[in-house]
Amino acid sequence: MNFKDFELCAHTNSINELLARYGVKFGIYKNNTFHERLFPFDAIPRIIEADEFIQLEKGLKQRVKALNLFIKDIYSDKKIVKDNIVPEDFIFASSGYMPECEGIMPSKGVYSHISGIDLVQGKNKEWYILEDNLRVPSGASYPMIARQLCRKSSPKTFETYHLEDNRDYAKMLRKTLDYVNVEGHTVILTPGRYNSAYFEHSYLAEQTGAHLVTGQDLFVEGDKLYYKNYNGEKERVGAVYRRISDDYLDPMNFVADSVIGVPHLFDVYRKGNVALLNAPGNGVADDKGIYYFVPKMIRYYLEEEPILQNAPTYLPFYEEDRKYVLEHFDDLVLKDVAEAGGYGVVFGNSLTKEEKEKFIKMLKEEPRRFIAQEVIDFLDIDIMEKGEAVPRKADLRAFVLTSDEPVVWKSGLTRFSRNPDSFIVNSSQGGGFKDTWVLSQ
Amino acid sequence: MGIITVEKTDRLFWLGRYTERVYTTARLYAKSYDHMIDVIADDYKNFCSAIDIPDVYGSKEVFLEKYPFDENDMNSLFSNLQRAYDNAIELRYEIGSEALAYIQLCIYDLQKAKESDAPMLEIQSLIDHIMAFWGTADDLIASEQIRDILKTGKRVERIDLYARLAFPAADLKREVNRMKFRIAKSHISYKESVVKNLETLVENEPMDYYGIVREIENIL
Repeated sequence: MNFKDFELCAHTNSINELLARYGVKFGIYKNNTFHERLFPFDAIPRIIEADEFIQLEKGLKQRVKALNLFIKDIYSDKKIVKDNIVPEDFIFASSGYMPECEGIMPSKGVYSHISGIDLVQGKNKEWYILEDNLRVPSGASYPMIARQLCRKSSPKTFETYHLEDNRDYAKMLRKTLDYVNVEGHTVILTPGRYNSAYFEHSYLAEQTGAHLVTGQDLFVEGDKLYYKNYNGEKERVGAVYRRISDDYLDPMNFVADSVIGVPHLFDVYRKGNVALLNAPGNGVADDKGIYYFVPKMIRYYLEEEPILQNAPTYLPFYEEDRKYVLEHFDDLVLKDVAEAGGYGVVFGNSLTKEEKEKFIKMLKEEPRRFIAQEVIDFLDIDIMEKGEAVPRKADLRAFVLTSDEPVVWKSGLTRFSRNPDSFIVNSSQGGGFKDTWVLSQ
Repeated sequence: MGIITVEKTDRLFWLGRYTERVYTTARLYAKSYDHMIDVIADDYKNFCSAIDIPDVYGSKEVFLEKYPFDENDMNSLFSNLQRAYDNAIELRYEIGSEALAYIQLCIYDLQKAKESDAPMLEIQSLIDHIMAFWGTADDLIASEQIRDILKTGKRVERIDLYARLAFPAADLKREVNRMKFRIAKSHISYKESVVKNLETLVENEPMDYYGIVREIENIL
């Protein structure tokens, strides 16, 4: 399909103006100053055929099911460790592992309610999982609002192509929130307007009808969580879709000087009197080091072969892998497991001799800190630049929402690099986004 | 809508106030701008005095350039609009994306005006977008309470400005009357005695404008 087939592309500028009108921005700190930036939208969609999506959907559900079972296991019996499938070094040394979560069973036994799974498509058309985001994955709001504005700009395009409607994300999310709500209001807990994803927090609140709150609006009394209204009356809160990381959630249990959390929130959660989405402690399963073991988890918990493949990954922690990494350093991409957002990613061939030596020294000293991956030959997708289609690297963040069963949103956030020589697609690194179309027939 | 926190109530009230402040002062600036073309070259001095801001400009040219756009001048149109935006951005859930979009458009209007060689045309767009904001708020905000808090802010600010600008008694009487009914419906806590005092003050002749400003600033 040629981009010129899309009448929609002629309206790219107008759609971007509409996105600006609705404040579709993300925040970024540069030189200690907060800046709001527009998230550039490219109107050429990523298109996923119906058959291809069915396969993708099966693989994503399978993966998220296994990840949920893994988290449950880690904070209870630890069978997977006892059976030597995952070495304990990768659990207890992980910054995402929270001993405070030991023995806690969240409402309805769901840990990762909203999972953001990053994938890339190789030139062989095979999809590869790049990483799992099980803490506070963001990005669904962008294709949601973009679709709305695209339909406004070019109704003809949507008459011509038969695709799944992605505007049901808010309904799916609300169902997920309500499923685990123990009793009372559902709220979205934001760190505030200076958070990079504040647009998303406020937009999802508006679209789901959940109250948007900050930590100061909530308080704990008698092992229950409440919201204080303008009359000073308290109203019970039963589910918190928190967009705050674990560490800052509760100053009485975690980082003591957090001013964005709610004192004793974790105690209420521990007693089963509120649902937290996603559950604290999920970081143990989306650590870049644990990623290597997800196919093993699928085999272990589900007794199935993984439908979706990981990018070929090596763990310098294992001597054999370390040897391979050192021998093929220039062909690999190395990732610091503690970093996110496109930071801490190094292409072996991009380093100078001195940088390489320094990096290898670090790798040998702290092998647990890094993973190495083969550089996947991405299938480039077209973006419009000065009226012409040019190929760029892009990934896909798929969203899997879990209530009684995992459900895959029939869309996703496609992020692309605007720099022709870059593989980094993150918005914080100057990337843009596209709508993701899933064809219905 | 159900519950509104104390903080959100405060933001709604101040969104109403700042939006009204930008609207009325932008219109006054437009009038003053026109006056300075061929009637009174330094009419800006009257403008500053009327809205009770210090004349830090020194000349008509500096005033025309700085008053609307200066980020560092806390009295500029820009600063007041920024304060409206700072409140609005935290109220998407309460006021909705459509109403919020008009405040965002006002920001763009002022940015365009700053770059334009005909800034008054863009400032007219800003005034239009504020009108559209209020129309959208009326039409699309389902919660009566939220509309009432927003409009209470608007009415309070209007009385404050009209008194500072020595508007005719009939205008002030009308505004006090509108505010009285609105604030009673808003469920925010306020001083009923201030409303009574205002009702008395607008009946007096000559009008005690300073008294009205003093009272209205003390209403919450």
